[in-house]
Amino acid sequence: MSGAGWKTTLRRLPFYLVVALIVVYALTPFIWALSTSFKTEDDLFGAARLFPRDPTTKNYTYVLGDAGFMSSLLNSVIVAGGSSLTALTAGSLAAYALGRLRFRGKTPMLYAVLAMTMFPQISILSGLYLTVRELNIYGTQAAMLFAYPLFTLPFSTWVLTSFFRGLPREIEEAAIVDGATTAQILARILLPLTVPALVTTGLLTFIVSWNEYLLARSFTVTNPGAQTVPVAMAQFAGIVEQQEPIAEIMAAAMIVTLPLVALVLVFQQRIAAGLTAGSVKG
Amino acid sequence: MMTTPSPAQVTPRSASLWGALLGAIGVGAIAGLVLAVAADAGVRSAFDASLGDDRPSAIMAVLDGFGIILPVFVLGFGVIALRLASGVARRDVSATRSARDAATWLALLAAVVTVARLLQGTPWLAATPSPLDAVVGGALGPFLAASVAALLSRGLARAARAPDLREEPLVKREARTAWSLLVPALLILFLVAARPLETTIITSFTDKVFASDEVPSFVGLAHYRQLLTLSFVEVPCRLADDGTCARNAQGAIRWEPLPRELLVEGYRTAWNWNLPLITAPDRAVAVNALDHVWIRSIWVTLVFTVSSVSLELLLGLFIALTVHSEFRGRGAMRAVMLIPWAIPTVVSARLWELMLKDTTAGVLNRGLMLVGAIETPQSWLTTPALQLPSAIMIDVWKTSPFMALLLLAGLQVIPKELYESARVDGASRFREFVSITLPLLRPAIAVALIFRTLDALRVFDLLNVLFGRSLHSVSTYNYQVLINNQQAGYASAVGVLIFFLIFGFAVAYVRFLGVNRS
Repeated sequence: MSGAGWKTTLRRLPFYLVVALIVVYALTPFIWALSTSFKTEDDLFGAARLFPRDPTTKNYTYVLGDAGFMSSLLNSVIVAGGSSLTALTAGSLAAYALGRLRFRGKTPMLYAVLAMTMFPQISILSGLYLTVRELNIYGTQAAMLFAYPLFTLPFSTWVLTSFFRGLPREIEEAAIVDGATTAQILARILLPLTVPALVTTGLLTFIVSWNEYLLARSFTVTNPGAQTVPVAMAQFAGIVEQQEPIAEIMAAAMIVTLPLVALVLVFQQRIAAGLTAGSVKG
Repeated sequence: MMTTPSPAQVTPRSASLWGALLGAIGVGAIAGLVLAVAADAGVRSAFDASLGDDRPSAIMAVLDGFGIILPVFVLGFGVIALRLASGVARRDVSATRSARDAATWLALLAAVVTVARLLQGTPWLAATPSPLDAVVGGALGPFLAASVAALLSRGLARAARAPDLREEPLVKREARTAWSLLVPALLILFLVAARPLETTIITSFTDKVFASDEVPSFVGLAHYRQLLTLSFVEVPCRLADDGTCARNAQGAIRWEPLPRELLVEGYRTAWNWNLPLITAPDRAVAVNALDHVWIRSIWVTLVFTVSSVSLELLLGLFIALTVHSEFRGRGAMRAVMLIPWAIPTVVSARLWELMLKDTTAGVLNRGLMLVGAIETPQSWLTTPALQLPSAIMIDVWKTSPFMALLLLAGLQVIPKELYESARVDGASRFREFVSITLPLLRPAIAVALIFRTLDALRVFDLLNVLFGRSLHSVSTYNYQVLINNQQAGYASAVGVLIFFLIFGFAVAYVRFLGVNRS
């Protein structure tokens, strides 16, 4: 490496230290979970140590051999994917109205959408249960697809509204002069400009739905075939009877976190997209 | 006088036909509601003289069978359909176009319902798939509705293009477009959220027992009175043998119990406040409540929310700014920083429980002992003074990534040109941050704060796993009242009060951070 290159690296050293600090902070518990997932039962109760005394893969064998867990992965993908798509579609349409159009009743509408998510989940559970029963979807993945917009829609609507509002007004005025329709303005101008917000919202709603526990648990009591990942994990019997299957749960956590990390890796370039093209110089 | 019919006059006639169809749908909706209410067994029993005094009140029967939202929704739909129909007949351009949009949405909704009904024959949409004839029978109604709505939408679209219509004013056009775009969100709001919310509110005025079929009776505001009644009295400290205030093992002053008459009325002390400058050093203000566990849980929740959300904001902003600058491995870094958020709370709470074990098997104790910060293992999760800080630490670890990712998206949409011109003007990095980044990031910060605060105020999974019943947040208290005590009515009142608490925070944020300003 040339001398100049070294110099730049050296000057950026403090910055890289900060990066390393963040990585350590975010990952330490994760690494502890990773190490736990290779531990035997005895090891769990001894003095804490990072490296397992005699590493075992039996926790992974147990988890991968659990048919319920494997089918719950597919269920989670369907439920989380479906509810973030719903949230993004309904949310971006609503956000266009709330963020860029003038009409009476805008503020009440914003509050009404937010109010959906202001009750603690436990207290709306019985009401939701009744509706899901009446729709004859109790015990299915559809029950969760139906209920999750309760918390994903307010989030996507508010985030996208705030981003739409931040875009300069001129961009769509030019399009209106050119005779563009509402759908064209939304699809060709606003959505491409807010890709970072869309991807962020999509990822966050996906993860929230992926991790939701209380509703998923209540809706799948009678039909384990529709369970999502957190519910299936909470119901591990474990290898050793009468003992909390903590190592198994951590092994399962490793398996379910990997797809999420891959998902973020795939989509993260799009977070950096957006206005970099410089298309909105007012 | 024109005698020859012009093509433009043909359209109005068909327009009034479509208007009439729309009107008929409106009348049908209202009539259907009235008939359904009249046919309802519960409502009929209210007018059944043979039941004597046992018959339920008519209002409760309607509420019980239909709630408030559904009738209001159907009535509103009917009235709007009638109004639009008259607008179409009057050749009002906005009304015609609104009616067209409404019919299109209606057709789409009916089509979705048709598909859903068809899917109920498969294991995907029903735990026990319905037989074929039931599936076809169930799908037939929505299919017909979808067809009629689609026809209506086409007819109205033609009517809206008729040459005799005036140009639509821009303001009306904008409002019409806005409401049309809001339809999916409004539908979700009505179909998913309205029912549970109204059930909670109605139940909060009754003495309903959880998972029981008994018809509850109306108790008015009794639950709210129980939850909200406070009383303040000044209490002296307990005297030790030497005449000074007695202290407990932790060194805190011990206070005299409440006066007997308050105890008899049901008051219990939530806290004793020894306020410097206001109370004498040996006296305290006792905050007493009829439900002191609830009052305490509010305080715990507020402390938890304010401390964890402000720490998360600072940390999230710091992470977002770091990840926003360009460096090699930035993509991987974005994925890594999200990991704490990606682990389900039910799992990460267990993980922390493991790491915070009160023996040397807990890694935090082991680590702190190795570096000599503590001498003996601490019980992080059972010592009262350490419980809340531990929970806050875990929540900050878990949810800072959420904050960071939202703020990062906000940073991305700040135009780079602003920084370039600031640099040309010789502004310092700090000046840049204060005068460009922060103001332009304000909307993103506001939204991130609102949703983090809403979540923190409802914190449940974490405290439930870590502390069981030894430290209550408002949501875990709600859970205990509902599931363990089976008091559905009381629990609903708790839920409604939590709603108001959260609503207050939301309004304050919107006001102070200017989410509504553009």
